[in-house]
Amino acid sequence: MTTRTAAPPALEVRNVTVRFAGLVALDDVSFTVAPGTVHAVIGPNGAGKSTCFNVLSGLYRPTAGTVRLGDAELTRLAPHRIAALGVARTFQNIVTTQGTVADNLMLGRHALSRAGFAASALRLPRAVREQREHLAKAREIAELTGLGAHFDAPVALLSYGDRKRVELARALCLEPRVLLLDEPVAGMNAAERTRMTEVVREIRAELGLSVVLVEHDMGLVMRLADEVTVLDFGKAIAHGTPDQVRRDPEVLRAYLGSGTTGEDAA
Amino acid sequence: MSDLLKKSTLLERGGLLKQGRLLLPALLLCALPFYLDAFWLRIGLFSMAAAIGAVGLGLLSGTAGQLSLGHAFFLAVGAYGYVWLAGEPGPGLPPAVAAVLAVLLAGAAGGLFSPVAGRVKGVYLGVATLALVFLGHHVLLTADSVTGGFNGRSVPPLEIGGFTFAETDPELTVLGVPFGAEERLWYLGLVLFALTWFTARGLLRGRPGRALVALRDSETAASVMGVHVARYRSAAFVVSSMYAGLAGVLLALSFRRVVPDYFSLLLSVDYLAMIVIGGLGSVAGATAGAVFVTALPLLMTRYADQLPLVATPGSGDGSIGPTEASRYLYGAAIVVILLYAPDGLHGLARRTRARLRRKSPDTGPPGAGPTSRPPATTANAARTKEHTP
Repeated sequence: MTTRTAAPPALEVRNVTVRFAGLVALDDVSFTVAPGTVHAVIGPNGAGKSTCFNVLSGLYRPTAGTVRLGDAELTRLAPHRIAALGVARTFQNIVTTQGTVADNLMLGRHALSRAGFAASALRLPRAVREQREHLAKAREIAELTGLGAHFDAPVALLSYGDRKRVELARALCLEPRVLLLDEPVAGMNAAERTRMTEVVREIRAELGLSVVLVEHDMGLVMRLADEVTVLDFGKAIAHGTPDQVRRDPEVLRAYLGSGTTGEDAA
Repeated sequence: MSDLLKKSTLLERGGLLKQGRLLLPALLLCALPFYLDAFWLRIGLFSMAAAIGAVGLGLLSGTAGQLSLGHAFFLAVGAYGYVWLAGEPGPGLPPAVAAVLAVLLAGAAGGLFSPVAGRVKGVYLGVATLALVFLGHHVLLTADSVTGGFNGRSVPPLEIGGFTFAETDPELTVLGVPFGAEERLWYLGLVLFALTWFTARGLLRGRPGRALVALRDSETAASVMGVHVARYRSAAFVVSSMYAGLAGVLLALSFRRVVPDYFSLLLSVDYLAMIVIGGLGSVAGATAGAVFVTALPLLMTRYADQLPLVATPGSGDGSIGPTEASRYLYGAAIVVILLYAPDGLHGLARRTRARLRRKSPDTGPPGAGPTSRPPATTANAARTKEHTP
């Protein structure tokens, strides 16, 4: 079983542009996620946050620009190759698969395990052992994210908050070096939010990974993020610490609008 | 730690129970040739062959969510592959070698189709595979030297180490029961079916099975979790073709003659009916569906004279013959199942069992109620997992 212990390399987004048939979803966006930090990407609806995530995880290929993780250029790789490099993500709208929590978490172990069709079909000792080891690891991660009690429960029967946590746990099962969280607390109630915040803080402290966070909940962003990038209409309009960004006039304008200038930006 | 220990003993007990539950039907199946005549054994044989094919299609359509209408083509590759490889004209290989090669040949045929199978998704693959059936049927009719054309070819009996799966050679009488072709093939079918069951369950519960389920439920999530989408799609297609090839070999051996018209689009649809009736994505369901769809027309033909509204075969007075009647019946079965039990016979059985289990603690001794509750729920949770392949 492989475990990644080395510190994560920096994730560099350089001049990324994504165009969908005339619509510019991302326009020359650059930022760097320093190793082991929480980097938030915020912005109003339609600012290009999710597009940015889809580029990072390889689902979209940018029209121009590059994304690098250490020596690897992610923009040239297929999603499953990026996953193998240790980039895991969650989705804004929950995307779990049928079966139990254990089944979902074991999917997260896919890139770290080897057993193929023949070995699994014949239940070779090596495949059986591998499965057992990874199941133990998945259970550990379930405990860490507070899903221990639901480990063998079908995902479909869990509450919304718990299913969000299943996604997080599944991403963690990949033993990521970079974790992309797309609105981890969207639709959660106050108690669930607090709990999720705690979990994210804990895993970052314990596992030392870099986190890229897309979130509308400013409270969460201010508490968790080391650095913030603000997107508006596909452009990065501000960078900095949460405090700097909060006072940035451009950001205030993008969020609150100020008369006709909002129209001009369109 | 003690919690962990408790869990492992619980699992072990579950395993023992499970083995016991498997052992009893297995013994029963082994004993059947001593009591049943050739007609029933033939039904069993066809059912076993169909079950092997259905498990393969279930893996592709049920688990990976890839529709295939080309299953009949791969059954034909298995059946004709065996006949040609083991027979004259043909290389005349030892039949056991020919059987193995025929399965590999079916897999290779699936592999040749993988540029399509790896890229095309869901229903669209169904349309693409439709072409295979017509192509296959045409080749079977025209490539006379290999397939024997319209009249087909007779199937050389399987022979393993001097033991022939036919009426004689050697003569065999076990416990006073003469062992003819059906009795011998029955055990061959059981072994092959057990092999299918074992391997398919291993696949479904292992890493490939989870990857395929993920592909079906969300291609995006699967790829982001590291699943190579195209590779797994084509691998599912190849594995499903190999099961179809194995089913084809067993079918050929049971029919003793292969004809092109059997491997038509209708056969592909039959297999789809099997996995829908049985319940998508489970080995047990595919088996149940296969038995239902295979045995029903044969039984209705046999007992046509005793059934109301069904004409005896060959009476030709415009009324419904047994084959048509059985088609109506399983058409109705599909409609009923899609309406009332979309997860098929397998889901129906699981829910009935769950209901029975929920009832039983209430009727148990009142004193033991509250204390026995927590372990019961743990067992329940473990049980639901076991049934999810």
